[in-house]
Amino acid sequence: MISFIEFLPFLMFLTLVPLLFSGFPIAFVLGGTGLAFWGLAVLMGIENPNSFFLVVSRIFGGVVNKQLLVAIPMFIFMGTMMEKSGIARDLLNTLQLMTRRVPGGLALSVTLLGVILAATTGIIGASVVMMTLMALPVMLERNYNKPLATGTIAASGTLGILLPPSIMLVVMADLLGTSAGGLFLAAVVPSLMLAIFYLIYIFARTSLNPSLAPPMEDAEIDDPLTFGMILKSFVPPLLLIIAVLGSIFGGIATPTEASGVGAFGAILLARLRGELRFTVLRDVVERSTLTTTMLFGLFVGATAFSYVFALLGGHDQILHIIQATGTGGWTVLLILMIAVFLLGFFFDWIEITLIILPVFAPIIAHLDFGGHLPDPGLTTMWFAILMAVNLQTSFLTPPFGFALFYMKGAAADLVDLKDIYKGIIPFVLLQLLGLLAILLWPEIALWLPAAAK
Amino acid sequence: MGRLLTFASLMDSGATRLGRASAWLIVVLILVIMTDVTLRRWFVIGSTKLQELEWHLHGALFLLALGRAYTRDAHVRIELASERFSPRGKAWVELAGCCLFLLPYVAAVIWFGIDYVGYSLEYDEASPSATGLPHRWIIKAAIPIGFLTLGMAALSKLIHASVFLFGQEKFAHQTSFGRMAKSVGGTHD
Repeated sequence: MISFIEFLPFLMFLTLVPLLFSGFPIAFVLGGTGLAFWGLAVLMGIENPNSFFLVVSRIFGGVVNKQLLVAIPMFIFMGTMMEKSGIARDLLNTLQLMTRRVPGGLALSVTLLGVILAATTGIIGASVVMMTLMALPVMLERNYNKPLATGTIAASGTLGILLPPSIMLVVMADLLGTSAGGLFLAAVVPSLMLAIFYLIYIFARTSLNPSLAPPMEDAEIDDPLTFGMILKSFVPPLLLIIAVLGSIFGGIATPTEASGVGAFGAILLARLRGELRFTVLRDVVERSTLTTTMLFGLFVGATAFSYVFALLGGHDQILHIIQATGTGGWTVLLILMIAVFLLGFFFDWIEITLIILPVFAPIIAHLDFGGHLPDPGLTTMWFAILMAVNLQTSFLTPPFGFALFYMKGAAADLVDLKDIYKGIIPFVLLQLLGLLAILLWPEIALWLPAAAK
Repeated sequence: MGRLLTFASLMDSGATRLGRASAWLIVVLILVIMTDVTLRRWFVIGSTKLQELEWHLHGALFLLALGRAYTRDAHVRIELASERFSPRGKAWVELAGCCLFLLPYVAAVIWFGIDYVGYSLEYDEASPSATGLPHRWIIKAAIPIGFLTLGMAALSKLIHASVFLFGQEKFAHQTSFGRMAKSVGGTHD
């Protein structure tokens, strides 16, 4: 039997979950719950009445004073600038023209767009909404099959959380105490693998049944595709992203430096297109600041919550339970994966990583998988990638997968929830296939970082 | 009651002004990173001061915008259950949330935050690196100041929710919840 004091940290979680569903901002629920339990511990005499001071010091040390986290507002700014200055929309148009002879060409273009836009919003919900608003009307206008169209948008809108430069990977790197550049590298092959799975599926389905994705008629084309158009709308953003990622992977720049240069590059691109009006700049500044504040407000709230959890001895108890029951690496991994998958039905990655990772971060690096991994030092990296793919799968899984609800919300009457469910199932199966592959062959994620060393 | 609403909009506009101004720090941040990268790569002058300035700016950027983000409803919520609430239900959630969670949390961070900044000021704490930035209390002060703007925004929301729930009809219409009730075409139940 454990005593009430020992149970207290777990009670924190039990209290938290229903409160999160109240609809009050999560950042404040986290901070308020943390404070309430700290207050309870003070009243019970097990906590010093001045120790909340440590929470403030933790907010400073763990969230403000972090060079790596500076990359987050910069990536958000870069993506938002590309969206607001019309770079993203032009890119979709050009891609659409470039791929018009390929079966499912538009679906392919949308997948690529998802990659670029993911950073603008920071969270899945917003990214799926934006992709839906931008791509769904175009796809339906072209008489694309509804399930295929919605499945493609939902899957590629969520793939962005995994593809570098992913904000989620920056946050995970910080929480797990590993390198962001390394995680970016580890994510390259798995995310490309998933994108290729999608493309093969789309290509195969539409080749077998071309009526699912009618190609663009030449008569519909207002501006024929010119070399100048490709040069103007396709090459610049692609070069910018390659330059940003390349300089991180090549070890030339830190993620923070590369992200700042990327943000500056996005301003230059907007300027070159003659779109850098004051109103556009102000809009981008406002939006990227609000998105950044939303993310970091949560970061601060989660810091307060998890620090109180630690003060109450929560971490020690979890370690103790794992050691006492002799649970092995595989079991811990499996339990965490299932838990994360279920949480993904209701919460975005940011809540899940910020709440769960600090609790388990100390044990993850020491999990023992025998000879399964090429190098036990890479356990954290493998774990992060598994968790990322797992989260993305969870967001897409009917009936709960919340990316699907966001999509239905943004699409309103254009599609039924039934079409969305029907369309996503093949993609969920592809995700599970990808997840299983990374689980069985950790090299898929780990060979690139190992080769870069 | 009209005076209460005036007070609320005063609180809001304070948080909004600071939030709007701090948003532009993102542009300053881009320029600082560009300068740092240029000096470091092409002139091989590494500057610890510039690098520290980067996270100082980032910290100020999001801390000072905390209140405004609440006013603009940018803080993420889980709306699975609450999207079905009437405007009255939503007003109750904000009222309870502000009283039970947000305001105590804000008060605690400000209370202990002032001590935290005080210690730093007392010793005129500087960067642990000899070539870093001095006067660390300045950036530390952004924590209680940012939370103050959050408190102001919360107070305003609290007033709006209370006036909407318990106030006279003519004032209730002027609150943010009253406007919401109007825009969904619902009457309050």
